Amino acid sequence: MNTVRVASPLRSYTAGAAEVTASGATIAELLAGLERAHPGIRFRMIDEQDRIRPHIRIFIGRREVKRLDEPLRTSDEVHLICALSGG
Amino acid sequence: MNLSASERERYSRHLLLPEIGAAGQARLKAARVLVVGAGGLGSPASLYLAAAGVGTLGIVDHDRVDLSNLQRQLLFDTGQIGASKALAAQTRLRALNPQIDVIAHDLELCADNAMDLLREYDYVLDGSDRLATRYLVNDACVLLKRTLISAAIHRFEGQAMCYVPDRGPCYRCLFPKSAEGAVPNCAEAGVLGVLPGVLGALQATEAIKLILGLGAPLVGRLLTYEACGANSTDKSARLTPRQLRSLIDRAASHGTACTVVDVREPREFAAGHLADSVNIPLADLPRRWAEIPARVPLVFLCRSGRRSLAARELAARAGFEQATDLDGGLLAWAVVIEPEMTVAPFE
Repeated sequence: MNTVRVASPLRSYTAGAAEVTASGATIAELLAGLERAHPGIRFRMIDEQDRIRPHIRIFIGRREVKRLDEPLRTSDEVHLICALSGG
Repeated sequence: MNLSASERERYSRHLLLPEIGAAGQARLKAARVLVVGAGGLGSPASLYLAAAGVGTLGIVDHDRVDLSNLQRQLLFDTGQIGASKALAAQTRLRALNPQIDVIAHDLELCADNAMDLLREYDYVLDGSDRLATRYLVNDACVLLKRTLISAAIHRFEGQAMCYVPDRGPCYRCLFPKSAEGAVPNCAEAGVLGVLPGVLGALQATEAIKLILGLGAPLVGRLLTYEACGANSTDKSARLTPRQLRSLIDRAASHGTACTVVDVREPREFAAGHLADSVNIPLADLPRRWAEIPARVPLVFLCRSGRRSLAARELAARAGFEQATDLDGGLLAWAVVIEPEMTVAPFE
């Protein structure tokens, strides 16, 4: 299982949880698992062409990933980052 | 720039720090900083910058003080409800430190005035509450080559990053664009009042570090802070070919150091490589750290960007926290910068 840290604007899909778990051999599989557990969350991050939306960034640990087929190890922590606007 | 007797008294705790001293305090006095938005972030940021002795402090905001602001915007008090935020901020900051110049810009920052206003300052702190303003401020800073210290908040979460011209990615590099409605602001989503206090103070800290050339600024990194999780982490962004080009050019024109490490195999390196890059294959890195100078910009690159990412992770564990890498590798470089470059296949 991977730990997934969820950006604040996406927590309406995780019942307010800042951290959830999901698993997958790739980021794409992990996001599919997240979608099953938290319906609607994937579309907030990924568009119809399977591209990461421009206000969303996905990190494995401290490293940004740009491709959904990026492989995952079970020990990896995934961070879902969203642009914030509040000041 | 000499300090008066009362300035020596006011800043005595700074003067005691060898990292600041009279020379550092004079640099703060000479600095010109613009705070965009006298809100939750701009309040603590401007108070600390004024207290620290930043010589010229501009505040831009076109709003009026509202009762609902006072839960977090410490620049204002109840008696100022309805007053211009820029002018009320100026009054408060002048009262805190009459020995600095505080300039109130009671106007709405827009495409027509942003360049003229930002041009007057060396450092810009973005504490605005609209994405459109964030992109406007970012783009003006990039065009004018101004340093930007950006932060944003949402409910219990905050994030911060710095853009220093030619040294790392800008806000738009990280988030290329954003639909305004996709990201709610404080008025829509609510915010823990003390959260902008943490992030705004962090912005002031970064500004002071950058003015003084102190420590490692949040360049090429995004700091995220989760108030309820009691932790913060930072993420490293990757360089585009154009950013690497300008980093190398700037180092060359200023005579400063910049280390570019090509982590491909010697055979690939021999077929074609970046001028002035050094070749340390990925597998050799763990026993060759001594060859890489500390405290200068460090960029890894490879053919496609996969090995350079691995190199960066190794480097972070070895203490090179600021290491970054070339997104897309030399394949991307050849497309954007140097079409004649031979990029050997990786077998």
